Amino acid sequence: MAVNKGIRQFFFPSLTPAFLIRAGCVALLAYLIFGHLLTPFRIKGHSMEPAYQNGGINFCWRVRYLFSAPKRGDVVVIRFTGQRVTLLKRVVALEGEEVEFRDGRLLINGKEWNEPYIHSPYNWSLSPRRVEPNSVYVAGDNRGGPMQNHFFGQTSLTRILGGPLW
Amino acid sequence: MVTLKYVLIALVLIAIGIGVSLTLFQSEEKRVKKQFYLLSEGVSKEPGENIFTMDQKIKKIGSLFDETCEINIPAHSVSGRLTRDEITGYAARGRLHSSELLLKFYDFDIAFPQQGEAKARLTARLTGKTTTGEAVNEAHEIDCLLKKIEKKWMFSHIEVVEVLKK
Repeated sequence: MAVNKGIRQFFFPSLTPAFLIRAGCVALLAYLIFGHLLTPFRIKGHSMEPAYQNGGINFCWRVRYLFSAPKRGDVVVIRFTGQRVTLLKRVVALEGEEVEFRDGRLLINGKEWNEPYIHSPYNWSLSPRRVEPNSVYVAGDNRGGPMQNHFFGQTSLTRILGGPLW
Repeated sequence: MVTLKYVLIALVLIAIGIGVSLTLFQSEEKRVKKQFYLLSEGVSKEPGENIFTMDQKIKKIGSLFDETCEINIPAHSVSGRLTRDEITGYAARGRLHSSELLLKFYDFDIAFPQQGEAKARLTARLTGKTTTGEAVNEAHEIDCLLKKIEKKWMFSHIEVVEVLKK
């Protein structure tokens, strides 16, 4: 009998002031956490495979770059106008560095950079270019197919929302 | 007592005034957003769409633009001041190359810099399939200028903002 009452109380709680305050606190906390701290997103596309698969769900850890700048090799979440549509890319070069793709190899300041996260060969060639101040150069891990079909390049640090939680 | 009564009436009138002006402002913003939803309907294409529907949609797209509109979409090699006929021509060709298309707009940021002008910055996402079976998955940040002509907001300038600069 007591168990039944407990179950009923769990699913149909009495709307007491204490319950309403608790519910309000939970809602506020959920809004703050999932709206501003750990924003959920679904991966649509294959540009970050094999590290991040199409259809996967993750969270953007918004405070990751609050006190530090992204490093080479970091995966970052890049915003467009707002945060409803974002890009997931890997930082391949930092501000002031010269970045180049030569026959499917990444060169930073003229030196070949090993990319262990690349699992399939690619044949991109892009002349050297310097990354502007307060910017980073990003690219996807899946570089199969013609370079023109891929979305990569340098972006302002102000567009980086954070990094994926895992 | 009489003074308090007048103060209360004045406060109520001010609140009504603020409410009415806010409602009017919102409705203008909604009218601008409606033009984007109409554009989305016109561009979007379901598999097996018949010629009659296609014709209606192309006409709908044309009716949303000013007599000429400055368009700059480097990803699709569209640039310059185009007439309505040229715009509908581009739209028709683009739709013919696709078996299904879905255009959606997100994160609207609308401002009214002066009477009869609306500036909108938003994210556009285009998904679908080409007639050859290739997947279409694009997202762009877009700057738009709309002008109010005969009580209707018309697209006058559309430009894609470069989020990633190769």
